[in-house]
Amino acid sequence: MMRMQNLSKIYRTHMIETHALRGFDIHVREGEFVTVTGPSGSGKTTFLNIAGLLETFNGGEYVLDGVDVKGMSDDARSRLRNEKLGFIFQGFNLIPDLNLYDNVDVPLRYRGLSSADRDKRIKDALAQVGLGSRIKHYPAELSGGQQQRVAIARALAGSPKLLLADEPTGNLDTQMARSVMELLEEINASGTTILMVTHDPELAVRAQRNVHIIDGQVSDLVKKMPSLFDVKAAHAPAAATVA
Amino acid sequence: MFHYYFLLGVRNLRRNPVLTALMVLTLAIGVAASVSTLTILHVMSGDPIPQKSQRLLVPLLDNGPARGYVAGAKPTDNQMSYRDAINLTLAKTGEHRTPVYGMAAAIEAPRPDLPVEEVNGLAVGNEYFAMFETPFLYGSAWGEAEDRNGAKVAILSRTKSEKIFGKENPVGRRVRMASQEFQIIGVLDNWNPLPRYTHLINGNGGSLSGQDEIFIPFSAAINLQLGPNGNVTCLAETNPGFQGFLDSECTWVQYWIETKSISDRAALKDNLDAYMSEQRKLGRFQRQQPAQLFNVMEWMNYLAVVSNDTRLSVWLSFGFLLLCLVNTVGLLLAKFSVRAPEVGVRRALGATQGDIFRQFLTEAGVIGLAGGLAGLLLALGSLALIAQQSKDLSVVAHMDWPMLALTVLLALAASLLAGLLPTWRACQVTPAIQLKSQ
Repeated sequence: MMRMQNLSKIYRTHMIETHALRGFDIHVREGEFVTVTGPSGSGKTTFLNIAGLLETFNGGEYVLDGVDVKGMSDDARSRLRNEKLGFIFQGFNLIPDLNLYDNVDVPLRYRGLSSADRDKRIKDALAQVGLGSRIKHYPAELSGGQQQRVAIARALAGSPKLLLADEPTGNLDTQMARSVMELLEEINASGTTILMVTHDPELAVRAQRNVHIIDGQVSDLVKKMPSLFDVKAAHAPAAATVA
Repeated sequence: MFHYYFLLGVRNLRRNPVLTALMVLTLAIGVAASVSTLTILHVMSGDPIPQKSQRLLVPLLDNGPARGYVAGAKPTDNQMSYRDAINLTLAKTGEHRTPVYGMAAAIEAPRPDLPVEEVNGLAVGNEYFAMFETPFLYGSAWGEAEDRNGAKVAILSRTKSEKIFGKENPVGRRVRMASQEFQIIGVLDNWNPLPRYTHLINGNGGSLSGQDEIFIPFSAAINLQLGPNGNVTCLAETNPGFQGFLDSECTWVQYWIETKSISDRAALKDNLDAYMSEQRKLGRFQRQQPAQLFNVMEWMNYLAVVSNDTRLSVWLSFGFLLLCLVNTVGLLLAKFSVRAPEVGVRRALGATQGDIFRQFLTEAGVIGLAGGLAGLLLALGSLALIAQQSKDLSVVAHMDWPMLALTVLLALAASLLAGLLPTWRACQVTPAIQLKSQ
């Protein structure tokens, strides 16, 4: 599904060079739920931005669903992002002036789908996250957990190959965080690949696999069995993690 | 997608309503100022008879005295002497021709309830009506015979006709003017060319407002010794009496010649130069200047119908519009800069820089459209105010469809221009930074 090999990212100012990622390797297979952890400044966000085609990289290779993205133009990356990726952010990032329906509509507009197709996808996605009856509401009228559900619906509506989540529960209380996590696990169970950055070790171990990043490099890869396809298993405590 | 961007633009008008209102108002004021002054210039400097304005020519034969004359200087007066007007008419110069002079006389209507009134009119040749394509409501122009005989016939303006005879056709009826019976042979339908280019040099009512109420044959006016109601320039001694006035070098007749084609102008000029040479043998045209010809637009320009003040005010108002534009750029920058998070989200969800550019420029256009509509109202209001300043301005301070369209287009173009920099800035938003900072 996505593979990075020997990837490097360097931020340059006129004074210093910062190696955010170096010799970075990762391979996420179709249908996996992978969490990415690491201390602050380790390169998690840089990795997610590059994985989400929001930033370019300096060296190495990145192949997303069979497409080599190296050297791609900004427009081509935008189209690929729209077609293959879904985003969930810590701050929800809904557009406050648009109601739920129109918020979920945003990525579909850029794909040039027909009005009927968009309508069906929007309603289905909002129904899937349990907000089908509130399509005319505005984000400010919802709780944090509900807003994050809208963001998930927005990401799902485009039927992404890969769902990128950046601390999706970071701004939520425990109960809401749990329900959002359960929703993500359901989505993964239905076949969508998920790559989630998190600080929370509890959440990290709930995934099939945890990737730990330190100083811009993958420190270790830990496989966790059984898979979260089994919803019951999703609630089981972590079997093993690498600290 | 334009429909989507347009709807977003309309929706976003409500966002930062104070900023939006300021922008709309700024654009509206700038556009209204420009369009108001431009409307006046447009009406004043428009071609009143575009289909033949290049073939309608005014000859200017400088018959001023040589004494004190500096070679090359402009003629002292821009009209023609009676002698030259008659000579050119008798020589059948050009394809069609007509002398024109303003006259005023007391008119008695055949109705006891109407008082004796003074009317302002023109004494012209029979070809005047065809040359200037005047519309007839009733009847028609007189012919060559009436010109030869000085027949007492008259053509009334529609306004005058309705005032005297009501809605009925007055052709065949009579009015008494200058103690003579005149038979009415026609009524002109509404005809108010702007400016009144056929008789630009006059002493009554300026060249923009007013209306000629009656037209009679030039020869009849002369026979009745109706003096010119307008400018008369006499630079030499004249013999006493009306005949002395007619024989003098006084200039008071305006003259028009129509050529068959535009290319006949050169031949006409040669013809007039030859005429002046002949006349010099009789001791006339001592300034040795060649004849000059002006077509309608050249003539209006030569007589400076549109004053430099009018042109200056247009320049100033466009300068003001530029100032408004700069202000709008600042306001749009403020309005768009707070939208960086939205740009970040849209970019992350698949919008290209081009998509963002089109969305924000459309939004600037929506503001421009609102500014244009508000500007239209302001322009109509300011034109109404301008019209109250003078009678002449009241005639020209009217918007036509092209000017209405121009108002909206100007506002739209201004807003798009003002939107370029803020839109470009919006496109430069780095999504990764925006998304993390929220």
